[in-house]
Amino acid sequence: MPPLIRFDKVSKSYPEGDAPRVVLREASAEIAAGEVVAIRGRSGSGKSTLLNLVAGIDSPTSGDVWLGTEAVNRLSPRARTLLRRDRMGFVFQFFNLIPTLRVLENVVLPAELAGRDPRDAHERASALLDRVGLLARAEAFPDRLSGGEQQRVAIARALIQDPPLVLADEPTGNLDDHAGAVVMELLEEMTRAAGKTLLLVTHSREVAARADRVMTIEDGHLVVPH
Amino acid sequence: MLPRTLLATGLRDLLRRPLHTALLVLGVALGVAVVVAIDLAGDSARRAFVRSTDAVIGRATHAVHGGPSGVPVAVYRDLRRRPEVSAAAPVVEATAFSESLGRTSVRVLGIDPIAESPFRDHLGGGSLRAPGFSRLFTEPAGCVISAAAARRHGLALGGPLRLRVDDRALELRVLGLIEASPDRAAALEALVLLDVGVAQSLLGLGDRLTRVDLILASDADPSGLAATLPPGLRLAPASEQAQTAVQLTEAFHLNLGALSLLALVVGMFLIYNTITFSVVQRRTVFGTLRLLGATPGQVFGLILAEAALASAVGTLAGEVLGYALGQGAVRLVTRTINDLYFVLAVGDVPMTAAVALRGALLGMGAGLLAALPPALEASRVEPVAALRPSTYEGRARVLLPRIATVGLALALCGAAGLGVSDGVTAAFASLFAIVLGTALAVPLLTATLSGWAAAPLGRVAGSLGRIAARTVERSVSRTGVAVAALMTAVSVTVGVSLMIASFRATVVNWLELTIRADLYVGAPSGGGVRATPAIDPALPARLRALPGVADLETIRRVRVASGVGEIALGASELGATGGGLYRFAPGSEPDPWARVQAGSIIVSEPFAHRHRLAAGARLEIHTDRGPVVFPVAGVFYDYSTEEGQVLMARAVYERHFDDRAVSSIAVHAASGTDLAGLAARVREAAAGRALFVTDNRSLKREALRIFDRTFAVTDALRLLAVAVAFVGVWSALMALHAERTRELATLQALGLTPGLLRKLGLLESGLMGALAGLLSLPLGALLAWILVDVINVRSFGWTMELHYEPWLFVQALALSLAASLLATVYPLWRLGRREIAAALRHE
Repeated sequence: MPPLIRFDKVSKSYPEGDAPRVVLREASAEIAAGEVVAIRGRSGSGKSTLLNLVAGIDSPTSGDVWLGTEAVNRLSPRARTLLRRDRMGFVFQFFNLIPTLRVLENVVLPAELAGRDPRDAHERASALLDRVGLLARAEAFPDRLSGGEQQRVAIARALIQDPPLVLADEPTGNLDDHAGAVVMELLEEMTRAAGKTLLLVTHSREVAARADRVMTIEDGHLVVPH
Repeated sequence: MLPRTLLATGLRDLLRRPLHTALLVLGVALGVAVVVAIDLAGDSARRAFVRSTDAVIGRATHAVHGGPSGVPVAVYRDLRRRPEVSAAAPVVEATAFSESLGRTSVRVLGIDPIAESPFRDHLGGGSLRAPGFSRLFTEPAGCVISAAAARRHGLALGGPLRLRVDDRALELRVLGLIEASPDRAAALEALVLLDVGVAQSLLGLGDRLTRVDLILASDADPSGLAATLPPGLRLAPASEQAQTAVQLTEAFHLNLGALSLLALVVGMFLIYNTITFSVVQRRTVFGTLRLLGATPGQVFGLILAEAALASAVGTLAGEVLGYALGQGAVRLVTRTINDLYFVLAVGDVPMTAAVALRGALLGMGAGLLAALPPALEASRVEPVAALRPSTYEGRARVLLPRIATVGLALALCGAAGLGVSDGVTAAFASLFAIVLGTALAVPLLTATLSGWAAAPLGRVAGSLGRIAARTVERSVSRTGVAVAALMTAVSVTVGVSLMIASFRATVVNWLELTIRADLYVGAPSGGGVRATPAIDPALPARLRALPGVADLETIRRVRVASGVGEIALGASELGATGGGLYRFAPGSEPDPWARVQAGSIIVSEPFAHRHRLAAGARLEIHTDRGPVVFPVAGVFYDYSTEEGQVLMARAVYERHFDDRAVSSIAVHAASGTDLAGLAARVREAAAGRALFVTDNRSLKREALRIFDRTFAVTDALRLLAVAVAFVGVWSALMALHAERTRELATLQALGLTPGLLRKLGLLESGLMGALAGLLSLPLGALLAWILVDVINVRSFGWTMELHYEPWLFVQALALSLAASLLATVYPLWRLGRREIAAALRHE
């Protein structure tokens, strides 16, 4: 079975003064479908950059990032938008819920952007909210929810399109231990149960311990355990 | 089509930020209100004019006009028998001043009720059964007025109506009231109807008429009929009168319209500023939306949808506000038209579909246009913005040189446009391009100059000075636009003020030159340039015989037909001053006044401009002896009318016209004469006549009062533009404070006292105000030059000396500083009430 994600000698550097700052040096790795992979590393080590490269919101300086049979970095901006919409779900450190949309509408939004039937989308969103225990808060605006609750809404939103891949950037980074544990449990359970790939960036050992594999970035090198 | 949920994010954002939405709506509403008010006033005035002309012309197809002495009644009798004439009606028409009808100018119309019905049945021709109308034949001084006018001014049937026509004070009796349909009521309000015979007798016309209205048979040949008319009479289409008057006010309406657009342009700055702020604040939201699959087009559409909704609400509010303002504006516009052009009564100012549609298109168009750049900016937000802090200011600074270059190119195109076309509309387009182009360069100048200001401000106000200057520099996407809006409004104020001051100074000089006699005698009938008051021709001789009178000058003002249409003709009899009263433009023949005495004419500068005539040209004038071609000896400076006028010597006039009346008399007192005593003697000599006798100084004062009144609308518009700019600065400061919540809270936590916080706010807004004020000065001076030397010349043909009054520049600087400092009051108050701990947690 071909890997879902493949980093093929991916390098990334940012201009900084006269000499560019290298974040990734010829990183190569493969992640299989259904795998839960954590990426760890020090602040500024390039963890989030790796995630952004997979999402197609940043481009490698050299090398390719493959999602299935497509090199994400070689796609047009529009194709990347559609790829994110249809095949990826996102969970952010600061939740990034749309403040002007109610909880249910936040979850429905990606499906609606994809042009799905509104009734189906609402049914699925309600089911997902039920799963994360927030159906009762469906009509609330995000600012009425706690941080943990907001992140649970974000998980539901990430799964509304039933994407094969979920990208999570420090999903518990802005939560207390208890809320973080609840969120992580939900995220793991919902992605594993559906056979999805979860690629998450984290500082936390506890969170990383839940992953099938932990990759680390040290001095720009991606260290991949076999 | 935008997904419903995406649309909901935008719409709810508008509801969640009431202040921001209110600013958006206000920007559109103020702009639309001013445009609609001016449009409504102009439109109502134009329609009122058309209606009143229709009311007077009725169904006539043609009219036979005489010169100043009119059409003999015999000609009317002859015309009635002509086979090509289906119907003919005699008309006597004059402009009068009526104290009974609200101290306004009115039209006096003498008609024959029997001959009337095919022409103007609404005036009474069809109402002969009504008791008042039949009594018109028998009562020696009976008149009919509109029932609406009678009600408005408390006049009753059988009651008196006082009029002053030429030098006659008349007391008529109201015998009938016309109940007109609502659409005609306003047109009839400034109309007094008399029997034609009564009118002839009261106005001293003998057996002459002003004109004969005709309905020609459908197969009649007008030119054949015209050829058989006696010399001095002319057959003209009935529509000619309306066309002449509408053309007269075209430039006036165009200038007013252009000024009203200014408010809309300044309103656009406000919309742009507010939406840009909203985009900056929601960058993370847009990044998230993009990450979730929203396309750039969808984000672009979202911002435009928000702008469209706010613009629609603003347009609606602007239409309502404009309607209310229009009621006031129409009074100013009508007063100016009555002062300068012709008698007009505007009864109502209804909102018409055309005005509402123009307002709606401009409001929606301006709103969407101003929203385009921020919408583009929002659509370009990368999904990564959901994860990274804002980089907008960095990008804005990168864009500044490009925007400034576009602005410079636009301004240069505008400047080039001034030389390419000689039309007034093109000149206004160029002026707008220059203003807009300069405004686009302002953000770069704001960033650069505030950067330079950091060191000196630091020396004066320490760290706070440096912070203030660097904040204005760093937040240039907000501050630059606010400075640009304020600079635009203030520079236009400077430009227009300089233009008015220059115009006024030129008029004062001209009045000094032309009003040199000691006393002036005239008939106080209103009606602007179309009034041709006549004074008893025997009066000059009586005045000349009075002790203390050294010399007399007379002028007869009439309207006659010419090769270039109806014109204002003056017949001047000068005393010892000779042609010294007139200053001639370059190109005039040597000693033009001597040539005038010999039979040439001179034309005023606006006349020469309007009809493209110069010294050496020839002009055909229809005299009582038939058309005569006069050589033009020179062009003289004259600021009395924008229509312009032609002057000939009195002796020449009398050779060609039978009219012997004069319109006004200038009396030069012998040296040492007591002027008050002489004025009393003059009044005594004119006893029984409704004449005014005024001294030199009062006449000049009256002329300047009318001048100042003419620019009242302009003053109101300028104030509105500054008000919109004020709101622009206010919104920018609110945005600035909102963005710097954490920064300012940190400063407060570090010990910035409320007083120092206020100082910081005032330094920032003061710097913005000072920059806007300083930048507005050169642009204002340039605008004044364009207004005076290009637009004014193209609109009116007047040469003016441009006076750069220093106090106007000081005033502009003060205005700019005051507007920006005042705009700080509320944002600072709000800042002072905030909880520092909560602000420190602000994201």
